[in-house]
Amino acid sequence: MSEVLFYLGAIMIIIGGICDLFGAIGLLRFPNFYVRLHAATVGTIGGAVVPLFGVGFLALGSNFLPHKYAIAGASFVTGIIVLLAAPAGAHALAYAAHKAKLVQWNPKCDHLTEVKKHD
Amino acid sequence: MKKLIPLVIILVAILGLAYYIAPKLPQQTDVRPLGEFYLQNSYFGDYSARSPEVVTSILWDYRGVDTLFETAVFFLAIIGSLTLFRLNKRQEKAAKQKTEEFTGGLTIVVKSVTKIIVVMILAVSASIALHGHLTPGGGFQGGSALAVAPLLIIAAYSKYTLEENGLDKTRALILRSIGLLGIALVALVPLLSGGFIMQNQPVFPAEIDSQLIGGSLIYYNFFEFLAVGAGFTAVFLLLAIPESIFKRFLRGDVDE
Repeated sequence: MSEVLFYLGAIMIIIGGICDLFGAIGLLRFPNFYVRLHAATVGTIGGAVVPLFGVGFLALGSNFLPHKYAIAGASFVTGIIVLLAAPAGAHALAYAAHKAKLVQWNPKCDHLTEVKKHD
Repeated sequence: MKKLIPLVIILVAILGLAYYIAPKLPQQTDVRPLGEFYLQNSYFGDYSARSPEVVTSILWDYRGVDTLFETAVFFLAIIGSLTLFRLNKRQEKAAKQKTEEFTGGLTIVVKSVTKIIVVMILAVSASIALHGHLTPGGGFQGGSALAVAPLLIIAAYSKYTLEENGLDKTRALILRSIGLLGIALVALVPLLSGGFIMQNQPVFPAEIDSQLIGGSLIYYNFFEFLAVGAGFTAVFLLLAIPESIFKRFLRGDVDE
């Protein structure tokens, strides 16, 4: 059981590294603010939350760490906080950019403006 | 390509320097006499706080007055910013009323997430501060984390929501004063029973009900937590007053 947790955690940390790399490349190469925001969120959810949970599993599965439950608990709590905060932050950024009309873009459909027209 | 050549040169230079210096550094094999003294007198001895977080016990025991003055510097900074934004009674009342351009805060997504996260931040900051004698952290760090909660509420809802629910500038200042007074009182208590100022053991018990509380460390941490969190909250509340209201104050519309 503990070995399964250990390897699961290690794999999740590797996934986190890959997500961080993809997020960084996307942030540099994507065309406009909204798509770049998507890349940034890949970097925070895939590159911070997943490895944090991975660290938690890894700590639970290892029998050489002195305070493994404290480390695992702190990792899970931090992971949950980031998991909640990152989408809300990205949403607030996108909403602010849309409202201030700061970004030049050519959308195929713009639901937010359609909803606002009906108000 | 032109940027790559200096980068490679810098990298090679750093790596070469590290490779050259690393074997020449002296190896530290045993604890130095000073470190041994601190460990003996803050963790193992009878007159020690017996806190596994030796840094905290050194901070509040051996360097207690230093830490007290550091706290005083922080309070001077808070008082300075409060003086910069000082308001009289009528202006304060005007600043509490909602402005016309206020539209009700951010979207519902941000608001609901803020509700959950504020509770989590309060719990985490309390754990940082109250575990200060067991784990890395302490009063100042916990208080700084606590101050994020009102800041998030100000950003997502508004400062008016915070004030309507009872946390206005005066209350924050009262909380901050309670914290500072608590620190001063805990520092002075050992004088009553023949100890030195800010002495930890044996005036304060190291354990209550076989729970390790580290003597005076937990009291210092708690009061510092309160003082730092409330002090930051007071400044954030002042900074969140809209600019238009300040301009009205400057023109003197409210005072008349």
